[in-house]
Amino acid sequence: MAYFARRILRALSTLLGTAFIIFMLVRVVPADPAVSIAGPKADPETLAAIRKDLGLDDPLVVQYGRYVWQLAHADLGRSYMTGRRVSDVILARVGATALLAVTSLGIGFLLGLVVGVATAARRGSAIDVAVLLATLVGLSFPPFWLGNLLIYQFSYRLRLLPLGGYGSVWNLILPATTLAIVEFFFYARFVHTNVAATIASDYIRTARAKGAPPERLYLVHALRNALIPIVTVLGLDIASLMGGLVLTETVFNWPGLGRLAVQAVFGLDIPLVAGTVLFAAVLVLLANLIVDLLYGLIDPRVQRG
Amino acid sequence: MAETTVVGLGSAARSRRFFLVGAIMVGALVLAAAAAPWLTPYDPDAIVVMAYRGPLGPGNGHLFGTDTVGRDVWARVLYGARTSLFVGTLAMAISLVIGMAIGLAAGYFGGLVDAVLMWVVDLFLTMPSLLLLIVLATVLPPSIFTIPLVIGLLGWTTFGRTVRGEVLTLRERDYVQAARALGATDARIIVRHLVPGVLPGVIVLAALGMSGAIIVDAGLSYLGLGVPLPTPSWGRMVSDAQTYVGVAPWLVVAPGVAIALAVVGLNLIGYGLIDLLAERRA
Repeated sequence: MAYFARRILRALSTLLGTAFIIFMLVRVVPADPAVSIAGPKADPETLAAIRKDLGLDDPLVVQYGRYVWQLAHADLGRSYMTGRRVSDVILARVGATALLAVTSLGIGFLLGLVVGVATAARRGSAIDVAVLLATLVGLSFPPFWLGNLLIYQFSYRLRLLPLGGYGSVWNLILPATTLAIVEFFFYARFVHTNVAATIASDYIRTARAKGAPPERLYLVHALRNALIPIVTVLGLDIASLMGGLVLTETVFNWPGLGRLAVQAVFGLDIPLVAGTVLFAAVLVLLANLIVDLLYGLIDPRVQRG
Repeated sequence: MAETTVVGLGSAARSRRFFLVGAIMVGALVLAAAAAPWLTPYDPDAIVVMAYRGPLGPGNGHLFGTDTVGRDVWARVLYGARTSLFVGTLAMAISLVIGMAIGLAAGYFGGLVDAVLMWVVDLFLTMPSLLLLIVLATVLPPSIFTIPLVIGLLGWTTFGRTVRGEVLTLRERDYVQAARALGATDARIIVRHLVPGVLPGVIVLAALGMSGAIIVDAGLSYLGLGVPLPTPSWGRMVSDAQTYVGVAPWLVVAPGVAIALAVVGLNLIGYGLIDLLAERRA
């Protein structure tokens, strides 16, 4: 039990730290938020009134205290651009991002798992080298570039799919494929190297010597042990998946959180920027916390560590 | 969070081949960047098509064609290599210095120092780095150093964790214990005994870190946040060409292949080095 409590406390402290960093970051924005609300032609009295209204004249400590207090009440403030509550804006966009993320991660991860396990059998064989090289090359193409190639092939040349937008399953295919390709190469490589390393280990050799059938060897012994690092990486990968989402959503005009964040940054909409970054950080933290807790269940030895 | 380590390619002979191919690719890129003025007669920022007729396809004196405002794409790819290599090298160097300092301190001093520093590492791993990079790149005054600085500041965690892990084992070695027993200062033990021990691992991470930085830089430039205009950058070339991908696909293909070439080359060097260095140490 102490293990679980420790993990949760650690996640909470990381959350407070993240909130502090985000707070500091958005406070050092040199541009005046009052100007971005009222426009460049506003008179000084209006600007002063807006500043007073937003509490921008208070000392930093007071502002941070207020920020955490509001966070504790799930209040992320109001968007400068639209005046809507940041939490409402985020909730309105989270569905699109979740759809894209789950589809692409699901497909990419499962395909990667299958290919990784299927090719891990013999280290040093031709197929082993092929997987290593293919994943190395495949991971070198940035998602925004892959997305553009897909648009060229399937939207312009074949005229099969829309080149962006949102609404039907046809709109989902290209962005989901783009991200799924990136995720596939990542997991194929990771699963491949981990299962290969497990197969080479002593206890697998023992199991083989004892006459365990190959499918049992792979599925029960090797995969189960390789699963621990794979699950860890799945948790950590959520953070880099966010990066891929930002780029892919921008390429395909996908109305998700990633594009929202980019628009907020360019519009100097500080509460919206802080809100989306914090929201993303909370998701990553939660994913990692779940992984940590799962660990404690899968492998009781971890609890003592 | 549990450690995830970088795994090598298996055999030393294979690693040597991979490393060589990578070294040739990166070498060619560095040469092309350095010799850019001799490899193209065109200025990357100059409009070189006299009467504008839309982007020209590859050929006709323009190896990769011309872009939407009539600039030579080959020239922009070449000069863009300078940008990418500069950003990648500087960002990696910043990450390396921060990561080594934190990893050495955490591993050597242990205890509270270690706990606090590893908490910071967790903090950085949790933050959605591309979003933070976007915020930082917008907030800080634009200059050629801004992007490498922010990528470097956010990208040191792998260095930090790996160096810490290696220091934890090195610390218990006989020669380190002996130095301590002889009264060597902490600084001397770290500089003379620990730094040389962690260097091989750091070199591998440097190659992989540089390729990562180049990909991140391309993403930022794609979003319009890279090095300031008019410096040519590969990511910006893709975003400028995006609207025209239907009529001028070469504008997208050329910078993308260049990015991949740099990243694959550096990764081959990095992964190749893992086994080569392990072999030398054994």
